[in-house]
Amino acid sequence: MNTLFALIALMIFPGGLFVLFAGLVYEWADRKLVAQFQNRIGPRVFQPLADVIKLLAKEEVVPVGVNGFLFMALPIAALAATLTAALYVPVVGLAPAYSFRGDLIVTIYLLSVLTLCIGVAGANTADRFSLIGATRTLTQVFSYEAPFMLAMLGPAIMAGSWQISEINAYAASKPWLIIPQVIGFLVALVGLMGKLELPPFDAPEAETEIVAGAMTEYSGRGYAIFRIAKDVELVIGLTLVAAFYLGGIGNPLEFLLKTVVLLLVTAGLQSLFARLRIDQTVGMWWRVGALLALLNLLVLVGLRMLGWLGVWL
Amino acid sequence: MENSLPAPWQKALDQIKTWARINSPWAIHYNSGSCNGCDIEILATITPRYDLERFGIKLQGSPRHADVLICTGPVTRQSRDRLRRIYDQMPDPKFVVAVGSCGISGGAFHGCYNIVGSISEVIPVDVYVPGCPPRPEAIIFGVAQLLESLKK
Ligand code: SF4
Repeated sequence: MNTLFALIALMIFPGGLFVLFAGLVYEWADRKLVAQFQNRIGPRVFQPLADVIKLLAKEEVVPVGVNGFLFMALPIAALAATLTAALYVPVVGLAPAYSFRGDLIVTIYLLSVLTLCIGVAGANTADRFSLIGATRTLTQVFSYEAPFMLAMLGPAIMAGSWQISEINAYAASKPWLIIPQVIGFLVALVGLMGKLELPPFDAPEAETEIVAGAMTEYSGRGYAIFRIAKDVELVIGLTLVAAFYLGGIGNPLEFLLKTVVLLLVTAGLQSLFARLRIDQTVGMWWRVGALLALLNLLVLVGLRMLGWLGVWL
Repeated sequence: MENSLPAPWQKALDQIKTWARINSPWAIHYNSGSCNGCDIEILATITPRYDLERFGIKLQGSPRHADVLICTGPVTRQSRDRLRRIYDQMPDPKFVVAVGSCGISGGAFHGCYNIVGSISEVIPVDVYVPGCPPRPEAIIFGVAQLLESLKK
């Protein structure tokens, strides 16, 4: 029985097929929203699915000068990591399939694996555009990762727990955590956009200057898997931010509403801002993002020690 | 590998593949020596007014991600090798759309000393879009014709 449950959790719900499809739907919603903001009609519902199937059915070119094993293994590692992360977050408002003390940290690390894989994949080719893309990807990791982590720690400190399910329950039982820590919420949301390399943080894959960044040499299956991994990460990231800052996620309806509201905000930001140069991205994150998140955290810790957190205690 | 499945399954799989291909043609644009008139029209085609994303058409930067090579202009001696290389870099299955009269016959540049000739002299072309330059509607129609021909 236990193995059966584990298998279902891994392959179908909430780990495998379900998040894959949810990821595709969210990618569609994201593209559609951006299209609407730009006064376009936008893609059809099945567009991401068609893209992925087409890529899977395409020839996969393994270029000369790459390590073949790494070339094949990196997309799979990226997808595996994001799918594993799906087991620890309350997707669709149900309790996470697995949970232990400190799974917040594990999840945040798992979410970073995708970016690292993209970086290594770019560095693994002889192509200069991939190399530049990889350098930019890895540079960007250092800029948004710390602020994102700090922003995620805010609710954790208020809840006094490192377990996602406990923080979720805490957030659901109190007034929304976005009220005492607007800064943390903003940093987390914008950090998520940085993680997913959405505009304005898409310098690593700027197609007007470096072709397609680290993904330049990937065709067919590898590229399809990287795309799915990114979609899954979008769902998980939105779930995490919604669970932590928007009053927890208790049922599917809440999940849908809250994540779509977040998606609306990120899509708006995507169409509002033009791409930042890589040095501007790093500068912005360290000069503004990290400092604000740190300040936010210090104030929280101070208030907690003094016992002035009011209703949130 | 290809024919290891029982026939009905193979047929269903092929249908799914064709469906996906028709609904998600990603394009790459290359100027092999055109006067830029056609390129401006192609850029006009991908503006929000015509919104090609509703057909799933997306302009890609890397030849490795593209299915359709949209090529403009006659082929000059300089760009012949580049055109070949871009075509070779694209993974199968791949298609070529030649946009503009120049791509069909050399057009206004026919007989110039620095011209190899039409695009079909260098790479196989699937669809020609005539016009000097063709309207965005004509380019969309050309790509739609290509997708239509894929169904068979
Ligand atoms: S067809 Fe006309 S517009 Fe297009 S490249 Fe030739 S001369 Fe220029």
